[in-house]
Amino acid sequence: MSPMTLDGAAIGRLYRSHGHVVLRRARLLLGSEADAQEALQEVFASLLRAPQGLRSAGSVLGWLYQATTHFCLNQLRNRRTGARLLQDRVAPTSGIAGGPSPEALSELRSLLARMPADAAAAAVYHHMDGMTHAEVAEMLGCSRRQVGYLLERAQRSLALLEQSA
Amino acid sequence: MSTRTADRLWPACLSALHLDRFLAGELDELGARRIRQHLLSCPGCAASVEAMRAARDEPLPPLRVVPLTPRARRFRGTAAAGVLLAAAASVLLLARGPGERVKGPAFALRMYVEHGGEVRPAMPGEVVAPGDAVRFAVTTPAKAYVAVLSLDPAGRGSVYFPLGGRAEAVEPGGEVALPLGTRLDATVGVERIVGLFCSFPVELEPLRVQLERGGPLAPDGCQVTRWSFVKR
Repeated sequence: MSPMTLDGAAIGRLYRSHGHVVLRRARLLLGSEADAQEALQEVFASLLRAPQGLRSAGSVLGWLYQATTHFCLNQLRNRRTGARLLQDRVAPTSGIAGGPSPEALSELRSLLARMPADAAAAAVYHHMDGMTHAEVAEMLGCSRRQVGYLLERAQRSLALLEQSA
Repeated sequence: MSTRTADRLWPACLSALHLDRFLAGELDELGARRIRQHLLSCPGCAASVEAMRAARDEPLPPLRVVPLTPRARRFRGTAAAGVLLAAAASVLLLARGPGERVKGPAFALRMYVEHGGEVRPAMPGEVVAPGDAVRFAVTTPAKAYVAVLSLDPAGRGSVYFPLGGRAEAVEPGGEVALPLGTRLDATVGVERIVGLFCSFPVELEPLRVQLERGGPLAPDGCQVTRWSFVKR
């Protein structure tokens, strides 16, 4: 799809062709089917409101990854209270064979919610999506060196949070 | 989870983004050929691609926020305009409820319904169906901060417009379509709609809560219009 011809009908087609990518990642990041469905709607709603974001993006999938990560990390920060996290522990897993256990994902979500935003995004792309430093740099619009710094910062945050847990 | 295991959360050696780009056809022929060859010898990536393909086949729910057809955007200057605007004025008159504060004659909220691919202007008490899409248009003689809230048949308050936490600025105009439509869910009964036209970007969450509690919704500096439709 050409990003320059983005109208309502094109967004509808994009939803049908790429919505599953948003839903899959939102399930993994949020661990709740209802919240993932909400994320799916919100990501495409934001596209309807401000299609210029996608027009200026280099890749449709790259923009969808960024928008989903941004929305889900905000959601995790907003739900930093205990009750929701308890629900997460029985939530769906990644659906990918050999993927992380529900317990590991639930713990990671609670840690991500307490990390600095840029480090949390870098950690998601690198650890949960398996991206190389170059791919993370493309997502964040920064240098590979900066990605290395952010991931170190994320690791330090993880270590500190685990010690205080 | 230890920090060390964080390195192993993604089970494939190629990233999810790379594999998604492969499946979506975003890679060039050489890149795609390399992936296909890699999949033959990498069980981790092959299993991930298989799971991602399976997820693609899962049916998606309807897009709840939908763009409606362009003809619902503006009716100014057409023969239909006079009829529709006249209808809108009577709608607002009929739809006023106790406690409503509509001081000026020029602010108006109008609703359109998309059913089976056709868009029609809605009347008070309009009967709609789950799965229909609704979209609102406003008439405002001056720049106003606009929001549309709803109270569904189950007593749940929600904000139809805008997506953010505060009313959003709308420039003066007649029948200006708000940018988002909403796909209706399966809850049946009478749904009440409240349109706010404010002189400032009013916070919406307290108003949504107030609506759920049945309180009057008349913040200072705002004009309020009310609407309802029946979903069955």
